[in-house]
Amino acid sequence: MTIEAANSLLPARSIWYIDIIVSNKSAKIFDIYRIFNTELQEEMTNQASPVEEQEKLLEEALNVVKVQAFQMKRCLDKSKLMDALKHASTMLGELRTSLLSPKSYYELYMAITDELRHLELYLLEEFQKGRKVADLYELVQYAGNIVPRLYLLITVGLVYIKTNTNLRRDLLKDLVEMCRGVQHPLRGLFLRNYLLQCTRNILPDTTEAQNENEGTARDAIDFVLMNFAEMNKLWVRMQHQGHSRDKERRERERSELRILVGTNLVRLSQLESVGVDDYRRLVLPGILEQVVSCRDAIAQEYLMECIIQVFPDEFHLANLQPFLKSCEELQPGVNIKNIIIALIERLAAFSQRNEGNVNLSVVLEDGKQEEVQLFEVFSDQVAAITQSRTDMPPEDMLSLQLALLKLAQRCHPDKLSYADRVLAHTDRICTDIQQASGRNHIEHNTPVFKELMKILKLPADHYKNILTLIKLQNYAPLINRLNQPGRLMIAVHLITDVIESDTTVSSPEDVDSVLSMVDVLVKDQTGQVEENTEDFVEEQGLMARLIHHFKSDSADQQYQILSAARKALQSGGVKRIQHTFPPIVFHAYRLAFIYKDIKDQDEMWEKKCQKIFQFCYQTIGMLVKAELAELPLRLYLQGALAISEIGFANHETIAYEYLSQAFTLYEDEISDSKAQLAAITLIIATFEQINCFGSENAEPMRNQCALAASKLLKKPDQSRAVALCAHLFWKGAKDGKPWALNAETRALECLKKAAKVAQQCMDGGVQAQLLAELLGRYVLLRERGCEALTTNLIQAIIQKIREELANLDQSEEVEQVTKHFHNTLQHLQSRMECPDPDSLGYEGLQLA
Amino acid sequence: MSSRKKVLLKVIILGDSGVGKTSLMNQFVNKKFSNQYKATIGADFLTKEVIVDDRIVTMQIWDTAGQERFQSLGVAFYRGADCCVLVFDVTAPNTFKSLESWRDEFLIQASPRDPDHFPFVILGNKVDLDNRAVSAKRAQQWCQSKNDIPYFETSAKEAVNVELAFQTIARNALAQETEAELYNEFPDQIKLNANDNNRNRDGDNCAC
Repeated sequence: MTIEAANSLLPARSIWYIDIIVSNKSAKIFDIYRIFNTELQEEMTNQASPVEEQEKLLEEALNVVKVQAFQMKRCLDKSKLMDALKHASTMLGELRTSLLSPKSYYELYMAITDELRHLELYLLEEFQKGRKVADLYELVQYAGNIVPRLYLLITVGLVYIKTNTNLRRDLLKDLVEMCRGVQHPLRGLFLRNYLLQCTRNILPDTTEAQNENEGTARDAIDFVLMNFAEMNKLWVRMQHQGHSRDKERRERERSELRILVGTNLVRLSQLESVGVDDYRRLVLPGILEQVVSCRDAIAQEYLMECIIQVFPDEFHLANLQPFLKSCEELQPGVNIKNIIIALIERLAAFSQRNEGNVNLSVVLEDGKQEEVQLFEVFSDQVAAITQSRTDMPPEDMLSLQLALLKLAQRCHPDKLSYADRVLAHTDRICTDIQQASGRNHIEHNTPVFKELMKILKLPADHYKNILTLIKLQNYAPLINRLNQPGRLMIAVHLITDVIESDTTVSSPEDVDSVLSMVDVLVKDQTGQVEENTEDFVEEQGLMARLIHHFKSDSADQQYQILSAARKALQSGGVKRIQHTFPPIVFHAYRLAFIYKDIKDQDEMWEKKCQKIFQFCYQTIGMLVKAELAELPLRLYLQGALAISEIGFANHETIAYEYLSQAFTLYEDEISDSKAQLAAITLIIATFEQINCFGSENAEPMRNQCALAASKLLKKPDQSRAVALCAHLFWKGAKDGKPWALNAETRALECLKKAAKVAQQCMDGGVQAQLLAELLGRYVLLRERGCEALTTNLIQAIIQKIREELANLDQSEEVEQVTKHFHNTLQHLQSRMECPDPDSLGYEGLQLA
Repeated sequence: MSSRKKVLLKVIILGDSGVGKTSLMNQFVNKKFSNQYKATIGADFLTKEVIVDDRIVTMQIWDTAGQERFQSLGVAFYRGADCCVLVFDVTAPNTFKSLESWRDEFLIQASPRDPDHFPFVILGNKVDLDNRAVSAKRAQQWCQSKNDIPYFETSAKEAVNVELAFQTIARNALAQETEAELYNEFPDQIKLNANDNNRNRDGDNCAC
């Protein structure tokens, strides 16, 4: 077909603008009049009905479609094309309704266009067989109403193009212009959507055409951009129609209809011959121009997001600057934050998939190209946008920083400075926020607070290493922007991370930095708010666990770490140091053992051990000064044990000092009788375990203990403690050598006195229990070689216990005592049957 | 009754975002593949003629958006489908888990005449990738438990099984279509005056 012939197929060229009718050829007068009339009337009465009404209307319309479609297909089967077209036109007439909501209209549109495809298939087949219907394109334009007419025109146009590509360029142009005849937003949007759908696979998609009439991708771009502009205008116009009271409904409906407009962008992205270059030169500027100039917030926000979604990453990377520049120009109501975040997230994911190998070149103002980092571009543009959009809420500014931080972490893992830059910028934003609000801190639980919390948690969760956070210079200061509860939340989060990831903090400098980062747990803050005790104890427990992660492989370094930790923590006051000092002290004791292990490599080890125990002595002393008693007492005893075991130069004196300090605490500070018994028991047990004392140090200590034991208030306590004192005077042989300070008569005296005190107890059950315990102690010490505890004495106690038990009524306690007693007897029985050759036997003992 | 020689089959492709619905369709229709990711919004179709048992049928393949927010107008295009293709990504287990809800959603929205025997086909896409996370066995078991849905392992990138899968889709859709025709008697009622019915067109009284 020649061009002239093709042109003759395009008779009624009616080009419409919103208010002005421009006709470049002889448009049929009745057309124009009718279009004008109907369109205008309908626009003014655009109203959707309630739900049931909608369903009824839709059902009615669908019924008509069913009937007409059936008739149409029947006519097609009989090759009665004219009749079929008439039915098709009647069916399409249903789309002229103004009563349906967008969703119902969409259903109707789907049903009708599904049927139209049968007409299309028929025509296509006829045309391919060469049975061309003359002037069909012109013919369908005689359909009475514009909506059916244009649907038919598109359907026929499509068949023409499919069978003769020479018509393509001109027909596409004609169709997209003819669609201007429908200016009712809903109908126009769907009509143009039909045009888009039909032309999907026939758009010219080559850079150079074999025949200029077929058109090139350039023509396709023009076609879609024009359709896009028209659809966007229809869509935006919806906003300004009808009553202001219907604004909410209108916006909801617009939001439903948005995909129709967005489909234009999808179509552009589907053009395969459009590369980055064409995208930069033709496509993106065309879209952005329309987006910016429509000055409608809903359209702008959606379309910008749509651009991000439908075009490939490579295109975005090559055009970041024009895209982001346009963001600055959007309406005040547009949520720019969401747009930029969507873009950042998309590109960050892309960069990560490509393992950071993203080449990004930017054309500078002087026309030179320069390689830049993704982060740099976004960082600059975000700064520009936050500056130019003064209406942006502060929390949105922080959300943008959060997105930038994510980008920095994911795409530039090697560049910590990027993350730090974001934090610095965030800090500046916080300064402005505080200035505006006139407060010292970011207020708790405000949107700004929540965003800041996310920013602070992000690096913690990303790096999973507090040592990396230390390297971020702007991290710790940012924490102090929060108020006390906020800082607490972050501190707890950070410490939990250290514990879970088992991070080791191994230099005194790092310890200082870590502790200053969780300062809120280290000491009182200005304007300290009292916390719930349970929470406080839990938090301090976390601190204690944190301290266990302060360790170095070098012993000397470890000592410095502990000093640094104590220095930082000692300002915490009594309520904190009681939780944080014990782990330091235990760390130090362990360190002393390490020096003992490496004594061959370090000739200064003894001096260093002395220094360690001095350090601990001071540390425990601080707890004593804080008026604590039971805790330092135990720490002293633990220290004494460690000292005795390590055995460095002068250790006896130091061990004695530790033990006597414990004893002093016992005497001066512990008044509760239960606590007294527990304390004296521990002191005696410690003394029993320590082997370093000569008689000079042992004598005062064991005499004092025995004296203290006999001075306990309650008789049962007294009896038990005095019995324990027997251990102060008799110890088993060690390495075959008996203890030099054994004093068997005094051991026996203790046990006798304990028995006497036991018998002074009024309660028979208690008496029996104490005696049963005492029997055990006799047996234990005899087996440790104390000959003074003769079988006769043991026999006497057994006798005494039997008598006591016989006088008692059955009870749970009595049963327990009896069981205890019988266990001891059983032990004796087995010892008599097979005696231990190295210890004293029980000849002559009567157990029956 | 619609002619026996011209058959139009409507096929809907569903599945989570990013599983490769568009790529599968492009591979089948245009024999092309691109690694670039472009999100689909709304729903769109391509047509392709195929021959099934000596019959020429036109497949109308609907590619859909996996992300719900891109279906703001609803899913009216499910209606009248002859076959539904559910796609998942064999490297992403969550996309496999979503199959169930895609299937349910389709049956509810499309309300086919005989939901128990409506033809589905499952495609496990991206088998060219190394990091596979859903085994063929697991997928097959699931398909068996759902009335023996045919299952294909495909790669849109390397054109593995794509042709075969769509052949099956066409064949099963055709069976469905033929069956449906049995019911497709005369429409319920024919209003002889359907052309000039007097339903209220809100004041549009023009006589055309």
